[in-house]
Amino acid sequence: MGRERWSAVGLALLALGYLLAARRYPLDTLATPGPGVVPLLAGVALLAVAIWLCVTSVRTGATRVSGRPPSARAGLADPATTIRAELADPATTIRAGLADPATTKPAMLAVALVLYAALLPRLGFIVSSFALIVLAARLMGARGWWRPAALALGVAGAGYWLFARWLGVPLP
Amino acid sequence: MSELFVALTPANLLACFVGTVLGTIVGVLPGLGPAGAMALVLPLTIKLGPTAGLIMLAGIYYGAMYGGSTTSILVNVPGEAASVVTTIDGYRLARKGRAGAALAVAAIASFVAGTFSVVALQLAAPLVARAALAFGPAEYFAFALLGLVLLANLTGGSRAKSLAMVLVGLMLSTVGMDPLGGTVRFTFDLAGAQAGLSFIAVTTGLFGVAEVLASMAEPLAAAAVARVKFRELYPSREELRRSVPPMLRGTVLGFLVGLVPGPAATIASFVSYGVEKKVSKHRAELGTGAIEGVAGPEAANNAAAGGGMIPLLSLGLPFTPSTAVLLSGMLLMSVTPGPFLLRDHPGVFWGVIGSFYVGNVMLLLLNLPLVGLFARVATIPQQYLMPAVLVLCAVAAYSDNNNIFDVWVMTAAGIAGWAMRALDWSPAPLVLGLVLGPVLERSLLQALTIARGEVSGLWASGPALVMLAAALIAFVVPGLAALKGHAS
Repeated sequence: MGRERWSAVGLALLALGYLLAARRYPLDTLATPGPGVVPLLAGVALLAVAIWLCVTSVRTGATRVSGRPPSARAGLADPATTIRAELADPATTIRAGLADPATTKPAMLAVALVLYAALLPRLGFIVSSFALIVLAARLMGARGWWRPAALALGVAGAGYWLFARWLGVPLP
Repeated sequence: MSELFVALTPANLLACFVGTVLGTIVGVLPGLGPAGAMALVLPLTIKLGPTAGLIMLAGIYYGAMYGGSTTSILVNVPGEAASVVTTIDGYRLARKGRAGAALAVAAIASFVAGTFSVVALQLAAPLVARAALAFGPAEYFAFALLGLVLLANLTGGSRAKSLAMVLVGLMLSTVGMDPLGGTVRFTFDLAGAQAGLSFIAVTTGLFGVAEVLASMAEPLAAAAVARVKFRELYPSREELRRSVPPMLRGTVLGFLVGLVPGPAATIASFVSYGVEKKVSKHRAELGTGAIEGVAGPEAANNAAAGGGMIPLLSLGLPFTPSTAVLLSGMLLMSVTPGPFLLRDHPGVFWGVIGSFYVGNVMLLLLNLPLVGLFARVATIPQQYLMPAVLVLCAVAAYSDNNNIFDVWVMTAAGIAGWAMRALDWSPAPLVLGLVLGPVLERSLLQALTIARGEVSGLWASGPALVMLAAALIAFVVPGLAALKGHAS
């Protein structure tokens, strides 16, 4: 329940920040609507939904109200979560929480991705992609260095050949 | 019409073949879905030109529906959300030693439904497109709004959360040049943001990078796959006979569900299973390994994939992430889908539809003998596959505008998408809000201008009034039901 409410608060803050930034864009008149109209509508609507989510999460806790039978609801859920729910033991699903030790690895990879984007223009595509793949493979539990290195060389090289040579994409 | 044969040129046949094989592989692999995979290969397809490129993208889209069933049946791991129901009876059939029959029935059901939905698509899309020629900005606004409301209702989980994600997508779509006046908005002086957030970067981030990050939290063990011999692929006469009625019911249901915005293929498979549980002669056996539980849902998800093409091709409005990627592919190839597609690019329109026929035959011929090979794809260890996916995502995002800014957008979308999954927020409504945002904005502002500032101009015409009323009902009724639920 706490997490639901915090996400709602986060969304409300996002909506407020967006509305604040949108003040710069003129609304003009209804007959000649300006570039500020849709941002204003979208921001206000998101704010309203976020407040609604905040209120309902306080009132009902985690229970969701729905008239649909459980099987149908499971089917309608987001593809990724559905699959994951099928694959994983309930105890180990991501819902278990952000503080879970299982989140440290994805967090490390996320940091690696940020570094990748930062270093891409400096080190070039092949070097930085090689490093990213080796690192990611090791983080995911690949053993040894030979296989990840071979994979990285293959993917970075093939990617470079395919995109830079054949497609003419000016990769860094 | 004769342009249907455009699909038979060698280049287009090859594109169709590559697309359907890639689609099958993506369908087999848990994790990477069709939307992410299509975004990944988008830069490649642009090189192929509009017809071949779109044929390849579409091949991935419906090929994934075929592949998804394979691992559902053999290893109880659905490759796609649309194949989750197939695990119920499919895997039990495999345990009973009828894996071959289940796979064959799944492929045949997919073929029947896929072919039927192309026929319906071929007949319906031009009619809808002709009707849509009369659509003005007010009608487009009403239709896109109705689509987004239905989408939020059907995406599952909490309606308010889906609605919030649609709105976040809409906000992201306002970054960059505004669609009418050319005012640059929300770029915070970043040069790369002027053209707006790259749709490919956001999609590869949300459906590719986020998937890789999520897979690290709970590494999937490489699946052990039972071997199926070619000889075992023949279903018995009894099994075939029992498959026909659910197959036909699933096809019709699936196609109709496919017309509705939302994750149509997934919903269609569940609806079909629910119907079989009510009307099938063998309903008592469902859940214990009945062939009906494979035939119905597998037909339904393929028919829905075809149905989902109608709003895209005839109105230019996509309502699933996969068709949204197709839309962005078309726009990148300077083909604008919608009522004018048939008039301006008949070769593309009929070529893509023709390729559906060819692709369905290819998939049937490929899937029956090679099913064991495709199933083995699921055994590729994640720690080698996922890092490669990461780099491919980065290249796809970069090559959209040859801009490092898009790699940053992809990284941010990936991390955000991972957090969203962890907190149980679905990324699909966000992507559709992002795609439909400019349509909504442009049509709203144009409608207001045409009506000289009279807001009532939005519902002045009959079709617009009906669609807005439907949107209002779809918005209010579930909310009231929820309040009632609270009270009791």
